[in-house]
Amino acid sequence: MAKKKSREPEEVNCEGDPSPMIDCCFLLLMFFIVNASQITVSKDPSVNMPHAVSASEMKDANGCIVVNVFADPDVMGAKNPKALEKFNQTYAAYPGTVWGVADASQNSIGYNSGQSQQLSEFITKQREAMEAKGIKPEMIRLYLRGDADAPWSRSSGAIRAAAAAGVSNIVFGSLPAEN
Amino acid sequence: MARRKKIDPPAEEEITSNISSMIDCCFLLLIYFLAATSLVSEKKLDISIPPPGDTASSKKPKVDPGNIYVTKAGVVTWNEGLTVGEAYDPSLEPGTPAYLQQRRMESLVENLKMLKEQADAVETTPVVMLHGAAGAPHQRIVDVMAALSEADIHSVGLSTTADE
Repeated sequence: MAKKKSREPEEVNCEGDPSPMIDCCFLLLMFFIVNASQITVSKDPSVNMPHAVSASEMKDANGCIVVNVFADPDVMGAKNPKALEKFNQTYAAYPGTVWGVADASQNSIGYNSGQSQQLSEFITKQREAMEAKGIKPEMIRLYLRGDADAPWSRSSGAIRAAAAAGVSNIVFGSLPAEN
Repeated sequence: MARRKKIDPPAEEEITSNISSMIDCCFLLLIYFLAATSLVSEKKLDISIPPPGDTASSKKPKVDPGNIYVTKAGVVTWNEGLTVGEAYDPSLEPGTPAYLQQRRMESLVENLKMLKEQADAVETTPVVMLHGAAGAPHQRIVDVMAALSEADIHSVGLSTTADE
């Protein structure tokens, strides 16, 4: 009896087309680039930002002198132990820090409540550096990143220091209250 | 006669570019921006304070100034009489209806809008003074700033009072 010879299936060339994946990847990349350029102020994670029901979008961070205002360490630790750990790590060399700033090399500097004069001097230097870069004086603002639980005396101390340094425009940093 | 040698045409080469390194770079950039971007961006409340020695602000205003008081507990009052915000409760979870209810101070916004209308009527800028107790929570001050922003008032005098 003659055996029927089975034919071997033809070899199929399996190749994945990566072009849609690359397209998606580029779209995501563009989305994140656009979002990342919205605000470039340094954010201290130890600050528990307050929420505001009515606030506008931060479109341009140019001319912002950022001052972080911290809550008491025990209040900070009770809400977020990691924030307290980070705070102690960052400001270990500055005991009693209530105001935190970052210099031109992004090194954190802490000032205690008795160092408002030094804070004012820092803001003056920042203002002068910005003016030298050609930023208009009216565009130079104090960006106050106050902790929601920080006492008002600390925030007003930073505002006073800024006023003494010739900066009278204040921006209160906040997060949207409604998601 | 010599036989002519037949010359074969060169084999057709398939020109392909290797895009894998570009995709690698692209992925690296994508991961960087994914890590660096926070989708919840910070918002701002612009306020300007009168500069020291401002003679214009020391003149008697055409419209009576509005005074906002914030106590250490976070109670907000308008012109010493009307309570427009209850005491601050730090235990409320952000985003909950109770939290939003505490953030909104509709009565204060209404009063501030009325003050703005009065000032606009006589073509002047409204004068608002914010008196915060030294221990008043910063969140409550931001609530007041949000109300001022909603009423389209962007200039405020600030003072710190002793805790009661």
